[in-house]
Amino acid sequence: MFRTGSRSRHDTGPAPEALRLVKVSKTYGADDSAVTALDGVTLALGRGTFTAVMGPSGSGKSTLLQCAAGLDLPDSGIVRVDGTELTGGSEAELTRFRRGRIGFVFQQYNLLDTLTVAQNTVLPLRLAGRRVDRRRTREVLTAVGLGDRLGHRPDQLSGGQRQRVAIARALVAEPRVIFADEPTGALDTRSARDVLRLLQDAVRVHGRTVVMVTHDPVAASYADSVLFLADGRLAGRMDGPTPDAVAERLAHLGDDMTAGV
Amino acid sequence: MFLLAMRSIRQRPGRFLATLLAAFLGAAIIMTFNSLYDTAGQSGVDSVSAETLTTSASVVGGYGTLLVFFAVASTLTVNVRQRAAELELLRCSGATPAQIKRMVVGEAVAVALVGAVLAIGPAMLGGHALLGMFQDSGQVARSVDHSFGTVALMSGIDITLLAAAGAAFLAVRRVTRGQRRRGRARTVLAYAALLVGALGVLSTFAFSATDEALMAPPAEGAILLSVGLALLAPRMLTGVLDRLPLTGASGWLAVRNLRRRADHLAGILMSLILFTAVATATLYMQAVESDAVEASGLTKSVDAKNLETLNLTVVGIIVVFVCVMLVNSLYAATSYRSREFGQQRLAGATPGQVLGTVGAEGLILTAIGLFFGTVAALAGIIPFTVVRTDSVLPDQGLGIWLAVVSVAAAATLGTGLVTARRVLRTPAVEAVEVAA
Repeated sequence: MFRTGSRSRHDTGPAPEALRLVKVSKTYGADDSAVTALDGVTLALGRGTFTAVMGPSGSGKSTLLQCAAGLDLPDSGIVRVDGTELTGGSEAELTRFRRGRIGFVFQQYNLLDTLTVAQNTVLPLRLAGRRVDRRRTREVLTAVGLGDRLGHRPDQLSGGQRQRVAIARALVAEPRVIFADEPTGALDTRSARDVLRLLQDAVRVHGRTVVMVTHDPVAASYADSVLFLADGRLAGRMDGPTPDAVAERLAHLGDDMTAGV
Repeated sequence: MFLLAMRSIRQRPGRFLATLLAAFLGAAIIMTFNSLYDTAGQSGVDSVSAETLTTSASVVGGYGTLLVFFAVASTLTVNVRQRAAELELLRCSGATPAQIKRMVVGEAVAVALVGAVLAIGPAMLGGHALLGMFQDSGQVARSVDHSFGTVALMSGIDITLLAAAGAAFLAVRRVTRGQRRRGRARTVLAYAALLVGALGVLSTFAFSATDEALMAPPAEGAILLSVGLALLAPRMLTGVLDRLPLTGASGWLAVRNLRRRADHLAGILMSLILFTAVATATLYMQAVESDAVEASGLTKSVDAKNLETLNLTVVGIIVVFVCVMLVNSLYAATSYRSREFGQQRLAGATPGQVLGTVGAEGLILTAIGLFFGTVAALAGIIPFTVVRTDSVLPDQGLGIWLAVVSVAAAATLGTGLVTARRVLRTPAVEAVEVAA
């Protein structure tokens, strides 16, 4: 039942806009100690784009990602993923919303130690009750360079290899949007480059939409465009970013912040 | 290092709650029964009363000591294993293995000492109640007063501290050595227990129906068999899992989790098997014995009464204690899985699916534990019934077994699911963040 349901939704074809946020606000805490993490953020990301979100610590990057990815509900505003509005409150409802729409790549990989590489990769499919295609799984894992590691456990892999498993996991479920939270934060430069190239391929070859939160200007330069965030608000956008330009802009964001306070 | 140990206890008292509970309960049981020695040793106690008291103290005291060792050891092992990352950090910051050992053992001893001291009050009350029980059944003279003296106090504190220090030492050694070995000592111990247990059970046939000691060989044989089976349980668990045709995402995950964590689940399986075997064997044998005495038309002797009270007390204590330990270790093991549950949720599992996985794991564990516990119990019950009566199986029916089974199943499944539900209240994103 569920499988046909999710299939038919996919068959309507992807919406031209992968992600849209309208006046999204989120406040943590209450009264005196309240912190406004997101302050009326409005943005739209087209299908097949690679966007980096940058900003100083506490600028609301993580909150933005969590609200946009259906991990958390905003206090006010509208979140649309692949043309469907995020509604509903319970965790089970949010989980069902994310299935088939959203994939994740985290700094800490979040692979299950009890499962092999292949089993970790197909876990989202199994949980969603979708068919597991072994050949396709092998293809995707081979594409990320792990075709000979299907039976390994995460603790037998290097950090870079684990992150590539996480990317394969996000690709196999064919989500509309892949959210990456500091995906290279725990990696050496070489592994980081491999991971960023794979994310680029996900966009260019597979037509996915990738949103990546990072504090590293080099990582951000792999994206098509960079969104800057400060004090919970959008503070600019840069297309065709280079590491130097991003670093420069980021430094000034910091200046504005301290000057503003 | 000792200062560091004290600080780490003060900062995270919750983490040591399981150890504290095990030490407290263990010390309370030891002190309660050993206070019977103090009571018997007073001047002016008649010889029959003194004998009843010392026999009870020696039988139950022996059981109690074993149980306390086992309980404290299993909670400490879980505790140390969960802190492997912290200990690794300490090692990287320049702590020598000896220093880490001293810290962990120091913590364990401090917590055990607190538990033992807290147990003094309840043990005094318990000893009083126990004496009252013996007096009510006429086995001890009314004139005897309860006494809580040096034997109770010293044995309670000494055994608890020794168990804690020894268990912590072994657990930390296993962690700091860092490799996973399927201990050969464990296998040897398991087969030795099975062999001696089988001999004990078989030796029942050498006794005649009216021998007073008839119940001892099958009962102890059954317990040894259950210990042997419990030691082999992790390996049998993997064998069973390969043959389970479970479908659905939760079942699929449950089987894979259990297979990977078979070694970690040894403590829980051990509690389950021991609980089932001891409770079932003792209760059925006592029921058969009571019926046989009644059928022969004889009135019960003081010895027979002693035996009955003792048997029921032992079962009562083991039931409560092992049950608490089961709940204790399951709670600790499940709450430790917060991060793993978070990862499952981020991979697309609904809270219901996570609970389904925990439930399926609990069901598989319970079924295996109950099966082997029942096998061990039957191995004791059948020879006893054959020798004592003319039938092979007791004619008491399945009532007792069903009661034992439902308590075990309720404890295992209930603890797992309630704990998992609590753990799931933490948002998934927070749950996967590495604990600082």
